[in-house]
Amino acid sequence: MAEILAERYTGASIRRSEDPRILTGAGRYVDDIKLPGMLHAAFVRSPLAHGRVLSVDVSAARELPGVVAVITGAELEAMTVPGPDALMALMSWAGPTPQFSLLATDKVRFAGDPVAVVVAESRYLAEDGCELVEVEYDELPPVTNASFALDPSSPPLFENLGDNIARPHSRSEFGDVAATFAGADQVTDVHIDVHRHQNVPMEGRGCVASYDADRDLMTVYAATQSVHVTKIAIAMRLGMEPEKVRVLAGDIGGSFGLKIGASREELAVAAASRAVGRPVKWVEDRGENLTASGQAREESFDVRAAFSDDGDLLGLDVKMVIDTGSYPGMGAMVPGTVEAMFPGPYKLAAFGFESTAVTTNKACYVAYRGPWASETFVRERVLDLIAKDLGLDPIEVRLRNAAPRTDPPAAMITGRPLVGVTTRESLERLAQIVDVPAFRRRQAEARVRGRYLGIGVATFIEAAPGPRSPGGPSGPLGTESMRLRLEEDGIVALFTGQMPHGQSHQTTLAQIAADEFGVPFDQVRVVVGDSDVVPFGLTGGSRSATMTGGVALHGARQLKAKVLDVASHLMEASAQDLLISDGQVFVRGDPASAMPVGEVARQAATGQAGAGVDTNLEVNASYDGGEGGWSGGTHCAIVDVDAETGLVRVERYVAVEDCGALINPAVVEGQIRGGIAQGIGAVLLERSAYDQDGNCQSATFMDYLVPTACDVPRIEIEHLETVPTDADVNFRGVGEGGMIVAPPTLVNAIEDALSPFGVRIHEQHLPPSRILELIEAADPGQ
Amino acid sequence: MDITLRVNGTTRSGSPEARKTLADFLRDDLNLTGTHLGCEHGVCGACTVIVDGRAVRSCLMLAVQAAGSEVTTIEGLATDAGLGPVQQAMWDSHSFQCGFCTPGFVMQATAFLRAHPDADEQEVREALSGNICRCTGYQSIIDGVLLAAKRNIER
Repeated sequence: MAEILAERYTGASIRRSEDPRILTGAGRYVDDIKLPGMLHAAFVRSPLAHGRVLSVDVSAARELPGVVAVITGAELEAMTVPGPDALMALMSWAGPTPQFSLLATDKVRFAGDPVAVVVAESRYLAEDGCELVEVEYDELPPVTNASFALDPSSPPLFENLGDNIARPHSRSEFGDVAATFAGADQVTDVHIDVHRHQNVPMEGRGCVASYDADRDLMTVYAATQSVHVTKIAIAMRLGMEPEKVRVLAGDIGGSFGLKIGASREELAVAAASRAVGRPVKWVEDRGENLTASGQAREESFDVRAAFSDDGDLLGLDVKMVIDTGSYPGMGAMVPGTVEAMFPGPYKLAAFGFESTAVTTNKACYVAYRGPWASETFVRERVLDLIAKDLGLDPIEVRLRNAAPRTDPPAAMITGRPLVGVTTRESLERLAQIVDVPAFRRRQAEARVRGRYLGIGVATFIEAAPGPRSPGGPSGPLGTESMRLRLEEDGIVALFTGQMPHGQSHQTTLAQIAADEFGVPFDQVRVVVGDSDVVPFGLTGGSRSATMTGGVALHGARQLKAKVLDVASHLMEASAQDLLISDGQVFVRGDPASAMPVGEVARQAATGQAGAGVDTNLEVNASYDGGEGGWSGGTHCAIVDVDAETGLVRVERYVAVEDCGALINPAVVEGQIRGGIAQGIGAVLLERSAYDQDGNCQSATFMDYLVPTACDVPRIEIEHLETVPTDADVNFRGVGEGGMIVAPPTLVNAIEDALSPFGVRIHEQHLPPSRILELIEAADPGQ
Repeated sequence: MDITLRVNGTTRSGSPEARKTLADFLRDDLNLTGTHLGCEHGVCGACTVIVDGRAVRSCLMLAVQAAGSEVTTIEGLATDAGLGPVQQAMWDSHSFQCGFCTPGFVMQATAFLRAHPDADEQEVREALSGNICRCTGYQSIIDGVLLAAKRNIER
């Protein structure tokens, strides 16, 4: 065998190791779990947005054959421990803390609020049981929008708060806001709305809970982004010691931020299993997913922008109101991130930001792919509005305002250094790919024929993981842990707290570890989804490329050093003279010396390395993200808007992205395209709609429209890899960027298409009916 | 009600309740959990199986309606020789991410390509427009179907 290094897996579009099982129906999703004696749960849900619960009569349901238990909100409270929302507690939320029960007891707070759970021998029977539960309500005035919620006379959803304020008003200033606005050539005011929409993973929420009374052990098979966060949430509310709770997860059918911790329903299912002493499964149906799993965005912004006659953006002053829906989730925490990220890659002399979060009688706010994304939408919209007022090209106005790449790097006015940010390079590259002057000619010719084409550009940066904070001891996103072990069969096993739900970690982490350790790709096994086995972790926030990729690389390096130390004793050679390639240890220059790494592990386990040698071929590695860095880029859309029907066709979409070094280009591009598709849906199709009484109007896939293969164009992607910040780890996340920047890219393009009508757009949701309204209401003189 | 049908080439019998969907019968009674339920109202296509040669939504069909039929599910496509041609092309094309919609797309594409072996991209997009994928933006799936078609023609 020749002494050559194995080809590098990192950087190649290696076929996914997840695919053979998912392509053959052998994936194991939570609904595929079947346990002996397993029962099925279904929830009785409120038909009202806001009301007092006067009585809950479960007697008829309890008598239905096949129904094993019916648990009301009050009964469930007696079985569980009150407490705050686990996610808010984990994130150290210190603001208003609503008191609520897992199932409604005294009040219902949105249409779909769970009131009782029926546990039966089948899902069919459980739903039959729900039909027999009689709940009497006293209707209360629904609080269905933020302006009513801000009115002190609105009935408070949570009595202990006394009002509907989830995050009290606050204001921050960076730079001299008053002086900047006073000295600016021009100041403009715009109001911009972002509508309510939601994650909609193809698999909804669900779990199977199985309580073992003899051992007081709770095992929960979950669909979750973190088995450990789910475990903590369950232990907290069930009043169990965390070590008595084990959370397992297999394949997960998407999440996009939805499946973090444990929902109220999942906690109720775990409590029900403990109560009845049998396993209980609950998998939500699409109606529950659309009405009750949670929704995102619904934010409004009053923006005042100061700029020069030449197009220099000087200052922004922003007032944000976020409608967080009913029960506590992430909504109240979002304004802090929006504030920090608002300046994006641009120079600003001054920035004012104030925010308020309110509670309303709608489904609760959940994280959705780039929860702070509205800052990019608003900023990129405002830049286009300014460019339009000044007659400037949208690429030019961005190049003019993007902070130059300097050493040391410029910092956002809110503090974070723009280390390695390549906004200018992405804008310049985009201008090379898309021939804007040629498009303008085509656009002019098309208008003559009554066709309205438009081009839109938007730029973003994504903290994936973001830069190391100046002077801070910890890394950009805390630390990431991984346990790595060389097995006696030669397998390098990686135990990670990442909980992939489409991100392909079982492939990408294996690529990195295989290269670093020196084994073939299929000799690395990535172990996920068992809280008894894997270290703490969470898949979210686009953290895994840098953080988990980094710990895989450094952990494999540490494990390799250990293996080489043992091998040096076995092979009677200095460790410096040994190398590992293609799964074998060699003495440098002596191919005949090859010893398979599994053989090293076997001989180590049987004591052949001699006394005093550390033969425990396992390491616990951690990684703090190194210098970190940003992902980012510029997207461009060309759209064709039919002014008669309001239909928008995306003719071309180009993404110039910089996520540093690519681990697996096909995986990276899948993340980018998937995010863009969700952004297309958000603008053209998707809206979580409520009527004035708080009834959800988008409870089916015929009302909540998500993009199909006919709505998403072929997406062109160009990668930049401009600025390494670390000797080894320059992978950066791409989980959220597409969803962050596609909405402003599209809306900018649509406004450009409609410019002959004088249309100015101050919102994100533009279905055909709204396009027609905008054309109708526009003033062509503008 | 007692029914007998052929599933993936094997004769299977069962006694589903009249109201039980074919999807639930396949998943619960026959333990073929590869067929997934994404909406249970016939829009998302995740539950697509092939019944007597045609792609159908098994959430909208009752099990008893499938009595006497020949049903193929995602579990029935691979052979001892390996993945079926559509599965293989989709693996090679990085078609999927979370995998939940996958069985429906694979079954829909399989049925479509049998009837339209030389379909072009627009025809493939239209044929798959009744299946929802939330992860990929579809391009990689379309590429997988086109690759399977191309290989089939070259074979």
